[in-house]
Amino acid sequence: MRLNEIRLNQFRNLIQVKLRPQPGLNIFGGANAQGKTNLLEAVFVLATTTSFRSGKEANLINHQASRCTIEGIYNKQDRSIEARLSIDREKAKLFEINSKKAYRSHDDRLRVVLFTPDDLYLIKGSPVRRRQYLDFALSQISRPYAYELNNYLGLLKRRNDMLRKDQGKSRVFDITNELFVKSAAEVALSRIRYVHRLQETAIPIYERLTGGTERLQLRYALSFAVDSDTINLDILREHLLRIGHEKRTQEILRRNSLIGPHLDDLNIYVDDKLARLFASQGQQRNLAVGLKLAEIYCFAAISGYYPVFLLDEVLAELDQQRKILLLQELARAKYQSFLSSVETIPSLPPDVAWYTVQNGTITRKE
Amino acid sequence: MRLTRSLENLIEQLQKLPTIGPKTAQRLALHLLKAPEAQAKALAEAIVAARDTVRPCSQCGYLTETDPCIICRDPSRDKALLCIAEETSDVMAIERSGYRGHYYVINKEFKLMGDRSLEDLDFTPLLSKVSSGEVRELILALNPDIDGEVLSRYIASLTAPYPVRITRLAHGLPVGGDIEYTDEITLRKAIEGRKEI
Repeated sequence: MRLNEIRLNQFRNLIQVKLRPQPGLNIFGGANAQGKTNLLEAVFVLATTTSFRSGKEANLINHQASRCTIEGIYNKQDRSIEARLSIDREKAKLFEINSKKAYRSHDDRLRVVLFTPDDLYLIKGSPVRRRQYLDFALSQISRPYAYELNNYLGLLKRRNDMLRKDQGKSRVFDITNELFVKSAAEVALSRIRYVHRLQETAIPIYERLTGGTERLQLRYALSFAVDSDTINLDILREHLLRIGHEKRTQEILRRNSLIGPHLDDLNIYVDDKLARLFASQGQQRNLAVGLKLAEIYCFAAISGYYPVFLLDEVLAELDQQRKILLLQELARAKYQSFLSSVETIPSLPPDVAWYTVQNGTITRKE
Repeated sequence: MRLTRSLENLIEQLQKLPTIGPKTAQRLALHLLKAPEAQAKALAEAIVAARDTVRPCSQCGYLTETDPCIICRDPSRDKALLCIAEETSDVMAIERSGYRGHYYVINKEFKLMGDRSLEDLDFTPLLSKVSSGEVRELILALNPDIDGEVLSRYIASLTAPYPVRITRLAHGLPVGGDIEYTDEITLRKAIEGRKEI
């Protein structure tokens, strides 16, 4: 995918922006609070219809306006697609693809991979982050997965609600649990298969980042033990049902679901040591970069085209050597990337488009 | 600004209706006051008359003026087919499809996350119908969402001891649709529910 044009109207401090980015690496420089992250955010919002920053949706609209719009023209393989999102203080937001009202899961929506300084907590942070990493990546690749995950979360909510209302022994609970187990197995199996492919992609990338000195391993960690060499839907279902049954008394006592993929984790190992516990600062940074790049290449391997890569102020987190390595990767990559950076970039690779963002205005530097 | 008390009351009452917000309620109230008196009174009388005479049918739960309702009294309908629907509005939709069996209307919107437990719903009229031996097939026509799925399975479990066939509406391709443009989730359901020809 390649974003050929982006037009913004009243999006945060970007009152009126029209930009024709380059196919390769696009760097947005400038001081703090000028609008660099806002631009990256606009691209992300156009792709997902929600922001990666917290806060109310209305905050995306310039405080002096009542409505903002984001429009983008991009290529998906050899087709040109036009998407438009308008967010209004009074009305529901409107998402259109090729001038037709579209759902957020529309197959022709823009796809992005986002890398922010927060992703450095991916390695040592709580398992929620790693599950979100997997869920975001998988939902972009597979609509059936996004549907099943949503279904699973709905069932989990109802299951927890029944446990809270002390209905854990009712017939209705058993019925809900049957559906829950079926959906849980689907979600877990999709994630297991994805992690498998992710590992295949991530190993060579990590080798490149570390000069081949360290060995990476990724394992999907189920929250329950499976005593079987092969894993398939039936085996997962059977274990979820049996172990769930054993945990029922405890679940009723704790009024919460104690089994299912909402408790699983992605285990990352470097040289057979669990990175969550043992990775150094430098290793964490390499791993974060490696996992993000793997997300892109894995997406391309499965979908047949590349997503757009958005990097928000990550250079500041990396040392000189890794900075150069990452910039070289981006400059010669097959995918398009948008990078924001407050610091000036040393030894800029050739063929890079460089922009200055100042007080909501974006200008291209020659 | 304060409105006249009776106008305020009218707006308030209209606002309690589904899909009516404060602005629409105000517009409707003012319209009723400006409309010919006979028209407004006819509406008021229609509400009172419908409330006085329309009741759920004692046999099937369908909203009716005569008990049993016109569907239950129709001798040409197939007594062996019993379709379970959540609301009278669902029955109206199924009727348009040309279905010629009988109904059982639950008449309560069921939400798993709501205050009432599913086990509080009274299914004894349904069970007595099923145990009478007249019904050969139960058709579950509930919404294809999580709550509808749980309710379907719950009813199926209640009626499992009786010798009836239990079916539910298929999910899948819309008639006149195009496979190429059908989303993958609907297609998957259609493949799961495929039929021999």
